[in-house]
Amino acid sequence: MSAGTLATRARRERVLLLTPVLVLLALVVAIPALRVVHLGFTRTELDDAVVSSWAGLATHARTFGDGRFLGALRNTALFTSLSVLLEVTLGTALALLLDRPSRGRGALRAVVLVPWALPTSVMALAWAWIFHDTFGMANDLLARLGLLGEPVAWLAQPATAMAALVVADAWKTTPFVALIVLAGLQGIPAEVLEAARVDGAGPFQRFRRITLPLLLPSLVVATLFRAIQSWGAFDIVYVMTGGGPGGSTETLALYAYQSWFRYLDFGYGAAIAVQGMLLALVLAAVVVRLASRREVE
Amino acid sequence: MSARWAGAASALALLLAVSGCRAGETPHGNGVTLRMLVPANERPFWMPLTESFAKARPGTRIVLEEGPVPTDLRESLTTAALLSADGAFDLVYLDVTWTSKLAAAGWLLPLDGDIGEAERAAFLPQALAAGFFRGRLYRIPFRTDVGLLYYRADLLAAAGIAPPRTFAELEAAAQRLQSPPELWGFLWQGAQYEGLVCFFLEVLHGHGGSWIDPGTLEVGLDRPQAEAALSFLLRARVPGGISPQGVAAYKEEETRHLFQSGRAVFLRSWPYVWRLAQREGSAVAGKIGVLPVPTLSGDAGSGTLGGWGLAVARSSRHPAEALAFVRHATKLESQRLFCEATGFAPARADAYEDPALLAANPFLADLGRIHAGATPRPVIARYAQASDILQRHLTAALAGLSTPRAALASAARETRLVLGEAP
Repeated sequence: MSAGTLATRARRERVLLLTPVLVLLALVVAIPALRVVHLGFTRTELDDAVVSSWAGLATHARTFGDGRFLGALRNTALFTSLSVLLEVTLGTALALLLDRPSRGRGALRAVVLVPWALPTSVMALAWAWIFHDTFGMANDLLARLGLLGEPVAWLAQPATAMAALVVADAWKTTPFVALIVLAGLQGIPAEVLEAARVDGAGPFQRFRRITLPLLLPSLVVATLFRAIQSWGAFDIVYVMTGGGPGGSTETLALYAYQSWFRYLDFGYGAAIAVQGMLLALVLAAVVVRLASRREVE
Repeated sequence: MSARWAGAASALALLLAVSGCRAGETPHGNGVTLRMLVPANERPFWMPLTESFAKARPGTRIVLEEGPVPTDLRESLTTAALLSADGAFDLVYLDVTWTSKLAAAGWLLPLDGDIGEAERAAFLPQALAAGFFRGRLYRIPFRTDVGLLYYRADLLAAAGIAPPRTFAELEAAAQRLQSPPELWGFLWQGAQYEGLVCFFLEVLHGHGGSWIDPGTLEVGLDRPQAEAALSFLLRARVPGGISPQGVAAYKEEETRHLFQSGRAVFLRSWPYVWRLAQREGSAVAGKIGVLPVPTLSGDAGSGTLGGWGLAVARSSRHPAEALAFVRHATKLESQRLFCEATGFAPARADAYEDPALLAANPFLADLGRIHAGATPRPVIARYAQASDILQRHLTAALAGLSTPRAALASAARETRLVLGEAP
C-alpha cells in the first residue's frame, strides 16, 4: 500500500469520526443561531396576534433611534471594561501568590475556585443581600472600619449599583482568571528567571521584563474569555438590580431577553442579540490585534 | 458570541423552529393527564385539590409541575411553553397582568361560552373583570390580591394617633413615631419591577391621577396629579423623610422583613404579609392593623388589584377536562381548602362569608371590604412594555437622574408611542 492511499484512508476516517459531532453542532448551535439571525430581519411580534413578516434591515435600524438600546450598550461596555480590568488585575495578583511554593498550596488552589463553581444566580442573590442598605454586610463592615458614616443604599443609585455588580462579578470570576494565569506562570522556565537574578535584576524588574511578557498569551486568553462573557452578562444583573435604577444597569442581554419574553417582540429581540454578537466579535478582534502587536514589539 | 446569549438564543430559536414534536403524554390506562405549572411553594396546597378532582373524575389526573417562585421567571417559562404550542401545559396558572398578552397572542381558549352568567356571579366582580380581554373571558380568578396599608396599631394607640386616611396624615404620623434607622416611618416597594408600578398606581389614584385608560388608551402621566404623586415618593426618601434611602431597591420581601422585625410603623404591601407577621416569633404579632391605602381627600383609597387565575391553553388536547378542573378549583370547598392552608385571599365572593374560613382567618372580613375598592391595572396587549417604561422613569426620578416632571413627560411620550403604531 502506498503512502498516498494510506493518507486518503486516514483522512476519510477522520471525516467519518467527525461527522456525528458536526451534525450535532449544526443542530444545536448553527441552526438556532441562523434562525436568530433570520428573525432579526423580520418583524415578528405580538400585535393583535403574533405576526411575522420580512422586514429587511428595518428591525435592525430600530436600534439607532432607541435610547434604551444605546443606554444598554453603554451599560454593557462600562460593565465589561470595569469588570475585566478588575478581574485581570486581581486574577494576576492571585496567580502570583498561588504560584509561590507554600504549605497547603494545593488545598488553597482548590478553595480559591469555589466562587467560580457557584451558580451565578445563587451568588448574585447573596450579593444583593450583602449590598442591602439595612441588613447588608457591606454597610456594616464599612461602618465598623470607620469608612462609612451613613448607610449607603448601594443598589438604589446608578453609580453604586454598577459598582456592586462589578464587585460581585469580580468575586465570582477572578478565580477563573487566576487559574489561566497560573497555568501561564507554570510555563515560564525557572532558569530564565534565575538567569535574570544572577544578572542582578530586582523582583520588580524581573516581573516587568520577564514574567509579564511571557505571561502575555495567557493574559490575552483570560481577557478574551472574560470580555466575551461579561459582554453577555445577564443573570447577575437580572437577579441583583433587574436593570435598575432607571435602567442604569440594563445590559444588552437583559434587553434582548425582555424583548423576547416580556414584550413578545421576537424580531427586535433577535436584532439586539445579533448586533450585540457582532460588537462582541469586534471587541474580540481588537483584543487579539492589540495583543499581537505587543508581541511583535 | 457569548455562551449565555447563544444559549438563550438557541433555546428560543429551537422553541420557534421545533413545534409539536413532544412525545404524547403517557396516559394511565386510557385516562387523561393534564399538566399545569405552579410555583414550587404552592404545590403542597394544590395537592388536595388535584386529589379531590381525581376522585370526582376517575381517569383524569393533574400533574403539577414545580416552577420557580419569582413571578417573572414563571412568566418566561409559561411564555416559552405556550409559544411552542406543544401542549406542555393544559392549564395555565396566570397572574392578573398576563391575561391580555397571552390572550392577544391567541394562546388561551375563550371560556365565555362555557362559563355563564350564573357561574360568573359567584366571583368578586373586580377579580372576574381582570380575566376579560376585548370582551371575551379567558381567565377564571382563583385567588386575589389587593394593595394594603399595614400599620403598628400598638404604636399609634400609645401615641393617641388615629389610623391615617390621607397622605398628609400618613406623613405626619410616620414623622412623629419614627426614630430612624431603628424605626422607619413608611416602607414601600421602590425597586425597578412590577411591584413599584402597583404601589405608584395607588398613590397616583389617591391623587386623582390616571395612568392608561384601557378603553381610549389615553395616557395621564404628564398631568399635575401624576407629578404630585411622584413628589410624594421623592419626599419620603429625602434625608429626614419617612422612608430609608434603600427603599428604592426594595421588593416585597425586603420590606416585609423590616416590618416584621418591628422596624417600621407603616408598610404598603399585599395580604400575604398578614399571616407571616402574626406568626409566632414575629416581633409585631398581635400589634398590627390594616387600612385601605391613603388618598388626598381621606376617602378610602383604591389598592392595586393583583391575583392569580386559571386558564385553558389553546394547545391542550383535553380542553373539556381542563375546564372541569378550573370549575373544581374555584368551588367553595376547594377555595376553603386552599385559602385556609395558605392565608391567600379567595376569589369567590361567598368565601368571605364562609364561617370556617372566617374562623381560620378573621382578617378576611377586612380584606373583603378593602378588595371591593380595588383598581385593576390596564388590560392592554402591550402591558409589559408600558409597565417597563413607567418602572424605568420612576426609578430614574427616585435615583435623581431626572426631575419628576421630566421623568413623567418622557414616560408619557414613550407610552403613547408604544400604544400607538409600533415604533
